[in-house]
Amino acid sequence: MTIWREHLPALLLALPLLGAFAAPVAGHFGSRARNVWFVSITALTALVAWGLWQQVSASGIVVYVMGAEHSRLTLPSGMALPVRILLEVDAMSALMAFMGAIAALAGALFSVRSMERFSGLDQFVALYLLLTAGMLGMEITGDLFNFFVFLEIASVASCGLVAFWRDRPEAVEASFKYMLLSTVGALMVLVAVAFFYGRYNTVAMAGVASHLQLGLAEKAALVFLVSALAMKCGTVPMHMWTPDAYAEAPAGVTCLLVAVSQAALYGLFRVCFTLYGASLGSSAVAWALIIMGLLSMFIGVTMAVIQKDVKRLMAYHSVSQVGYMLLGMGVALLVLSDPQKMAAYGAMALQGAVYHLFNYTMYKGLLFLVAGALAYAAGSRNLNDLGGLGRRMPQTAALFVIAAAAIAGLPPFNGFVSKLMIYESSFAVHPLLPVVAMVTSMLTLASFVKVFQTAFLGPEKAALREVQEVPGFMRGGMALLAVVVLVLSLFPTWSVGSFVEPAARALMDRAAYVGAVLGGGL
Amino acid sequence: MWSLIDTGFGFWDVYAWIAFFLLAGGGFFYLRSQGRKDYRRGTDQDDIFYGGNPVPEDGEEITVPASSAYWGFTRALEGWYKGLTAWHSGMATEYLGYMVLVMGLLALAVVR
Amino acid sequence: MIGNLPYFAVAALVIFGLFGAIFGRNLVKIAVAVSLVEAATNLFIIALGYRNGGSIPVFTQAGGYADYMVLPTPQALTLTAIVIGMATTALLLSLIMLLYRHYGTLDVREIRRLRG
Repeated sequence: MTIWREHLPALLLALPLLGAFAAPVAGHFGSRARNVWFVSITALTALVAWGLWQQVSASGIVVYVMGAEHSRLTLPSGMALPVRILLEVDAMSALMAFMGAIAALAGALFSVRSMERFSGLDQFVALYLLLTAGMLGMEITGDLFNFFVFLEIASVASCGLVAFWRDRPEAVEASFKYMLLSTVGALMVLVAVAFFYGRYNTVAMAGVASHLQLGLAEKAALVFLVSALAMKCGTVPMHMWTPDAYAEAPAGVTCLLVAVSQAALYGLFRVCFTLYGASLGSSAVAWALIIMGLLSMFIGVTMAVIQKDVKRLMAYHSVSQVGYMLLGMGVALLVLSDPQKMAAYGAMALQGAVYHLFNYTMYKGLLFLVAGALAYAAGSRNLNDLGGLGRRMPQTAALFVIAAAAIAGLPPFNGFVSKLMIYESSFAVHPLLPVVAMVTSMLTLASFVKVFQTAFLGPEKAALREVQEVPGFMRGGMALLAVVVLVLSLFPTWSVGSFVEPAARALMDRAAYVGAVLGGGL
Repeated sequence: MWSLIDTGFGFWDVYAWIAFFLLAGGGFFYLRSQGRKDYRRGTDQDDIFYGGNPVPEDGEEITVPASSAYWGFTRALEGWYKGLTAWHSGMATEYLGYMVLVMGLLALAVVR
Repeated sequence: MIGNLPYFAVAALVIFGLFGAIFGRNLVKIAVAVSLVEAATNLFIIALGYRNGGSIPVFTQAGGYADYMVLPTPQALTLTAIVIGMATTALLLSLIMLLYRHYGTLDVREIRRLRG
């Protein structure tokens, strides 16, 4: 029992990788074997992520060294800096990994039935699990170069999945745009890693963080990292790939892509809080994040209001929702070196951002799955062709209402709680910031009312008279996320106290992150 | 687990909201029960009133399409939307250009 | 001054690559420009790994300089980055191939069905 508990971080990466490369073997034994393999691997990954989260919340930061005699041996034979491949899991990483694994499980359950009409499913399953591995790797690695490697694994796999329907010109086009941007973005991350290597002779995050002195090279690395990672999570004005890629990918994949873009946001958190922290110097990055957050919120939501394609509309909403997190993060970063203000509202802003990240991944994944269910049942994503589906698909409609109420921030759902935290803390910086955020929230509600009214309400259309409720597995995938949303809504104190607060505290506690690696040698 | 979240300036209590919804729901059903008693389902009373004309068979003809939703809003912000849709040009290389532009602006702000 | 030459080459290659990728019109040329940036990044890491007076990190060939072996990390990083770069270039080119089949053109201005 204790032996394999020690290896949970490695297992979290090994499981989806094994699943990915063995998927064609499982597919050899028929589609049923492949589906069982697909769902059980993602479910096991979620279990491992849950176990890892429990371990981290019980005993603090978990460090895992690949290939060492002892998995916690970070500094062998008196070395000053770690040389081996490091996995470092603190409360934030554990939360992200758990969240991502749930999204992957829900997407897998959904895809089992929604994709069965298509060929090439062995490759689909392999790429899906590879994307899961890339996402989890980004979230639990303690090494900047490995972060780049997992970023590339995730972007190659997601481009393959976005272009899965390669007979659709739009899908290939969306994939090309995403690939072009993410390749250049990832190269910028690599350049930043090289800067760190040149200055500190190490690529371990803890090693870099402990020695960091802000100079020109560090500033350049900061610029590269922040802009590339902000692009990967879809920030205005680098958000244009988001609606294309999210809308054209199969729905189960989009659910996972949301979690993957949050892994990039996690990278941004890591860079700003752990790597630089109080040595960030000026407030330029904090204000840049706040401004990008405001732009993302407002431009994303105004573009969403006028969309006709239901998935494209929701994709523009993910641009605007990421803006909330950037706002909370920017506010926290602004007051990071002022303990008094940090206690007054900075910590709340950070908690709001982390909580919103968790909420957003769950309800946004659910919304994309509902959009996929609509497309599956009615055969169209165009809202002009849909209508009156609430009678034919009552369960999907109910799930949509839960997710839409959560994203629009209607009380008593969880979206409101995290938005409230961000409003009240950003108000202390400038009253205009929460005003933009609230206007965005109203327009979000407006556009989801539009979706609900045009897709689920209204008279029945002749073309949609044969529509049936989607199969049980698809509803199961959606219900999983809906249950998480409801739990987060009904037990806010528990979810904030056990998930969000430790994660926010881990982000602020730079010394513990460094100490777990550099002070933990035998 | 059952207490409230203190947000520094205010607080959040989900159970107060649930109690509110229960109360509001009770009020709603009370008001509804006071309504007309002579309503009968399936009679002429639930026919759709379509300006005195026969109701079309296909719902398609009596639906407001999604692209007409919020017409006034989009019309009022026409200039904003014209600029914004033109900005989302669909050119992959322009998207890359914006990324490099942001990188440059951020570099100016950070390095100074 | 001459020691900084690799860094000037890196800067020039990155600028050429980004310029080509932003202002290029042909998809294949854009892919070439992206791989130029990639080459520059690899050159950058390798150049950073150089230490004055260090010897190669192969114990049997370092001779009497075994105490001055440089850390082999940059080489390992570059090898990984090259493999990843090959994969991304292959994926980009295959997407371009599919785009040509669907749109019948390689001009990036023509491939913009998704907008607004």
